[in-house]
Amino acid sequence: MKKIGIFDSGVETPEEIIMAAGFVPFRLFGDPTLQPEKANEHIPPTHCIWTRNLLEQAIAGLDEDIVGIVSSHGCDRTNREFDIWLECLNYKFMFFLNSPRKRDDVAFKFFIDDLIEFKNQLQDTFNIEITDEKLKVSIQKMNKIRKLLKEISEYRTKYILKGSEFHALVKKVQQYPKDDALHILETRLKELKESRVLISNDMKPILLTGSDIDDTELIVLLESLGFHVIIDDLGVGTKYFWNSVSENENPIEAIAKYHITKPIYSTKFPSYERYNVLEFLAKKYQVVGVINIAQKFCEPVLYDHPYLHKKFKELGIPYLFVEMTYNRESYSQLNTRFSAFAEMI
Amino acid sequence: MSAKEKSIKPQHNKMLNATQGLKNIMGRHFLAIEQAYRDGKPTAWATSGSPVEMLYAMDVQPMLPENSATVSAAQKYSQNFIELAEAEGFSYDLCSYFKTNVGAVLSNAGMAEGGTRKPSFMLSTDVICDTHVNWFQVQAERFNVPHYSIDVPHVVSNTTNRQYNYFKNYITEQLYEFIDFMQEVTGHEYNEENARQVSENSWNLSKVWQDIYELRKCIPCPISTRDTFGGLFPLFTMPGLKEPIKLYKRMYKEAKMRVDEGIGALEKEDFRLMFEGIPFWYNLKYFGQLERWNAIIVYEPYTYAFSKYMNPKVTKEMVLNKPIEAMSELMLSFWYVYDLETRIKKFEETVKDWSIDGVLLHNNLSCRPNSCGMYDLKRHLMDDYDIPCLIIDADMNDPRKLNETQTLNQIESFIEILRQRKKT
Repeated sequence: MKKIGIFDSGVETPEEIIMAAGFVPFRLFGDPTLQPEKANEHIPPTHCIWTRNLLEQAIAGLDEDIVGIVSSHGCDRTNREFDIWLECLNYKFMFFLNSPRKRDDVAFKFFIDDLIEFKNQLQDTFNIEITDEKLKVSIQKMNKIRKLLKEISEYRTKYILKGSEFHALVKKVQQYPKDDALHILETRLKELKESRVLISNDMKPILLTGSDIDDTELIVLLESLGFHVIIDDLGVGTKYFWNSVSENENPIEAIAKYHITKPIYSTKFPSYERYNVLEFLAKKYQVVGVINIAQKFCEPVLYDHPYLHKKFKELGIPYLFVEMTYNRESYSQLNTRFSAFAEMI
Repeated sequence: MSAKEKSIKPQHNKMLNATQGLKNIMGRHFLAIEQAYRDGKPTAWATSGSPVEMLYAMDVQPMLPENSATVSAAQKYSQNFIELAEAEGFSYDLCSYFKTNVGAVLSNAGMAEGGTRKPSFMLSTDVICDTHVNWFQVQAERFNVPHYSIDVPHVVSNTTNRQYNYFKNYITEQLYEFIDFMQEVTGHEYNEENARQVSENSWNLSKVWQDIYELRKCIPCPISTRDTFGGLFPLFTMPGLKEPIKLYKRMYKEAKMRVDEGIGALEKEDFRLMFEGIPFWYNLKYFGQLERWNAIIVYEPYTYAFSKYMNPKVTKEMVLNKPIEAMSELMLSFWYVYDLETRIKKFEETVKDWSIDGVLLHNNLSCRPNSCGMYDLKRHLMDDYDIPCLIIDADMNDPRKLNETQTLNQIESFIEILRQRKKT
């Protein structure tokens, strides 16, 4: 089945429209074992290493079933680098979605216009028809996936499911055909319902936040040091499934509303409201600490960090901020800081 | 030529005499800020690229913290301020303007050091970068003042006209919403006549600046960056006032006299360069070193960009009669944020029109939106149009990030390449 690649610093892309067009939404992830070389001919090395990593893969050749790319307005990087992707790639469908920075009524109206444009360009490029009926079916399917993920996520709370396994599961869902994803989730949920506690109570329950971390090995590392990622506010995590799309409204409007009202990410305005999301999750899941991980040069997260630091200090919850380079060899350098934090809490 | 003009015989001088008046104009801007505080008049911080004209039209005194940050750099305070911001947790890699401003506020710096006062409200937009929005969010929280942000959709190389139209509507709606916001915060009413007058002044100011740039096409070039780097400040701090128009007209007149007499800013002009990016405000003298090779910068997209009225769709009639709609159009077509395809085309045209021998591209280490696409821009200019280019790594406000000797060596080698090309 043909796919539309998603280049997105968050989870702002409306997968439902891609599905209704008959394609598999395929979110592009970095490969931390790969070092950018060709990408460095286009983007200076002082820019986000994660987006350079994606460009490196794109230049080398993406999954052969990918027939187009959609990039969604996130940070300055995804915005500005889209033109470089246009330079380097030769897909007949390349769309930049201006997912608005603001989340008010005016932005909502604008987002509807841009989603309609996205739909129209898909229709025109591939000579297909995206009907409201097809959109509604996609919305229902995605809602089912979101509901299952939310239910499965709770097994992290019950110390039955590891944070790393859950992370890998969300990644799969963001790349697999959704029917396959549904099957995987249903099967796993059934297993989990019959499982007993597997994770030691000694593990320290933490909230993970920061850049959109896509390397599961990083979470494995945290687990090896005694942390249990009981909850997160990441795109490869709760942001992907926390809310649902209304099934009783005009589908495009419902999709726009879903994205405008879901838990806020650092790329949106006012990003300080992300703290409210974090505070809610930290209290609900009774975490003993918060770890905020920024990819090197990830400006939105770097700007928010001092505010989050201050607010968690006021709240009395230990908070660790770490800037990381996107390659596995560098993870070992983080060991000391994570271990010291584990000792502290 | 009148008798008076005859008496002022144009002379070779690296800086125009008229540019000396810039200090007075900027001094009046800072005095106006102080006066506004004394009078209890509303004030606002605004990011560059935002519609400062709307503030003047609503009788709100604008303050541009980026302008203040350059003052800090010129006075050699920026590094200290940046380090204070870093001690507060802001990364070494973040925008040096932003960190200068954070440090200046933390130090309670005076205006002469690049300090700014607490405003009644803040106005930001992401037309140039996301940093602007984040910056004002940080400071609005610190000062506990209201903050309005204008979200500007990002135009890319394959944006269609259809998209462009609803992008424009989105901005227009926000600008009207911003008027409501200002009315609520300040109690001032929006006055169309005021808006028209301010718009006319802004238009006139920009047009004189563009006329000055036209003169830079002449060989020898009558104006160097000694006039333009500082000369640009009225464009973004005072668009809407009459005083800077007079200054620019004086600059134009003097430059025109030089052109008529065949006098250049340099005694001898061998190489004409373009400088892309923000200058090193902490070391403007650095650019003077180009003169040792008889090289002069004749065009800077950065200083030209702020004379915003370049979009042919935006006529004077539109600016006067539909200032909000004109502003929306301009915010989408700002020189400084062109998509890559348009940027390459504009550079190629500019190089031709201004008879430029080579392009210096500043890879600004803390302004990623500006440096993004620079490698592709360079490749296209060199490969497609045979335009020599040199990328130099530095920073606009952080002196720690400029390696003076190394960069100068690179420029020297670049000039040598240009010299060889002229011989062949």
